[in-house]
Amino acid sequence: MAAVDLPLTGAGSRPGAGPGPGVITVDAGGAYSLRVFDAGLACCGVEVAAALRRAGALAAAGEGKEQSGPVNVFVVAGTVTDKLAPFVLKAFQDTPPPRRVLSFGACSNSGGPYWDSYCVTKGVDQLIPVDVYVPGCPPRPEALLEGLAVLLRSRGSAGDG
Amino acid sequence: MTGGTPPAGALPARSRGVIALLEENCTACMLCARECPDWCIYIESHKEPVPGNEYGTGGDGPMAEPAASQGGDGGFGAGPDPASGPDPVRGPAGRGRQRVRNVLDRFAIDFSLCMYCGICVEACPYDALFWSPEFSYAETDIAALTHEQARLREWMWTVPPPPAHDAGAPRPGEGLADRPRR
Amino acid sequence: MVSDGLPPAVRCEPDHHGVMLRVPPEHWLTVLTFARERLDCDFFDWLTAVDEGGEGFSVVVHVYSLAGRHHVLAGTLLARSAPRLPTATGIYRGAAWHERETHEMFGVIFDGHPHLAPLLLPGGFEGHPLRKDFVLAARAAKEWPGAKEPGERSVPRARRRAPPGVPDGWGPS
Repeated sequence: MAAVDLPLTGAGSRPGAGPGPGVITVDAGGAYSLRVFDAGLACCGVEVAAALRRAGALAAAGEGKEQSGPVNVFVVAGTVTDKLAPFVLKAFQDTPPPRRVLSFGACSNSGGPYWDSYCVTKGVDQLIPVDVYVPGCPPRPEALLEGLAVLLRSRGSAGDG
Repeated sequence: MTGGTPPAGALPARSRGVIALLEENCTACMLCARECPDWCIYIESHKEPVPGNEYGTGGDGPMAEPAASQGGDGGFGAGPDPASGPDPVRGPAGRGRQRVRNVLDRFAIDFSLCMYCGICVEACPYDALFWSPEFSYAETDIAALTHEQARLREWMWTVPPPPAHDAGAPRPGEGLADRPRR
Repeated sequence: MVSDGLPPAVRCEPDHHGVMLRVPPEHWLTVLTFARERLDCDFFDWLTAVDEGGEGFSVVVHVYSLAGRHHVLAGTLLARSAPRLPTATGIYRGAAWHERETHEMFGVIFDGHPHLAPLLLPGGFEGHPLRKDFVLAARAAKEWPGAKEPGERSVPRARRRAPPGVPDGWGPS
């Protein structure tokens, strides 16, 4: 499948449809099973949705060997405004351990283009510990999958417990 | 295989993955750092004299010892013959002026802030910044997303050749053939 | 003519989309009612304010007629010291959130609004961000990377000044 041949979303018209915590399999030198909780706050959420749909197709294609159970990955994709910050924090706290945090895109990395705004949290790491930062504005959907691979290769976690 | 690394060449032309720097073209003019809306380009530079162009180098400038010469030339002989054009090392007629150039010490882009707008690439008057389609540079530490000129140079080798102009597009008007005739 | 039926104090100017009505504040509701009833403007698009500096705040409304396909802009000017205007929610329900946002961003008070609470800003936010005298603190806190001249190692003390967008007196000392 060519990189730009992304599937149509289709979901969103029916309540409850669309990617929930998508279970995907990412090969990072061993097979892991991830449950991705996507906090799609802004434009980056579209790219994450695109990535998760494609990755779901990959998981169906081949079975991965689960090692030590699934890891919950909390993906923050989009601008974290000061008004929304408490809810992002709550959503992270509700993510069951073992959990990792992936910051997707410039806004959740550091505030990005809104670094000087009066109402933007300058990076979600001001609220929660972040394990991987994926740069981009927005990053490609493939960049999310590469970021997940980096996450799994890295040691330990800042978000457990 | 990781989920969906596109094969080489499959990304669209002019994909904005990362910004690469060709340091040889950079004169530290600071335009990219000034135009960047995110203030994410950090440049440090200093001035250095251009070697071989100091005033009176080689002793053949106007302050030189007069060479033996026939006839009175006022003691200002022994320089290069003005009729043959300026001396390439010492400047016209040996009157070299101390020239100074900017030397780039540090060129860093903070990709945690960068919004990939391309204003720096467009603003650069010397074509030192280029778009590369690379996107696999996620990091576990946000400070590691600030990349220095060594890494920016590595990405130069992934910059694709520019795509051809669209069929029927007007001439860009930048070539020598487009200059108005006098 | 559009202006038939409007108070004479209301100036009517052609706009590239339709008309722009310059309204004294005391005729604000009259004009909006006129736009809805007589000009068939049944679609409320937006309401916002503009910080005009010393002149005060101008509040501008854009309404549209779906049947007649014409746009009407209406604007009024409020004194900076007392920016008050009657609420448009009695005429256009859709103005409710727009007036809340204009209130929190500019400090304009809409009398009679059912719930003039902040819409987008977090609780405890001080100040009105879209006023021209509101400073973006992040620009004051970070040193501008473009301050140096080409080839300069550091900005000389005599030339140090606030970065673009930051008034003098702010900025890292």
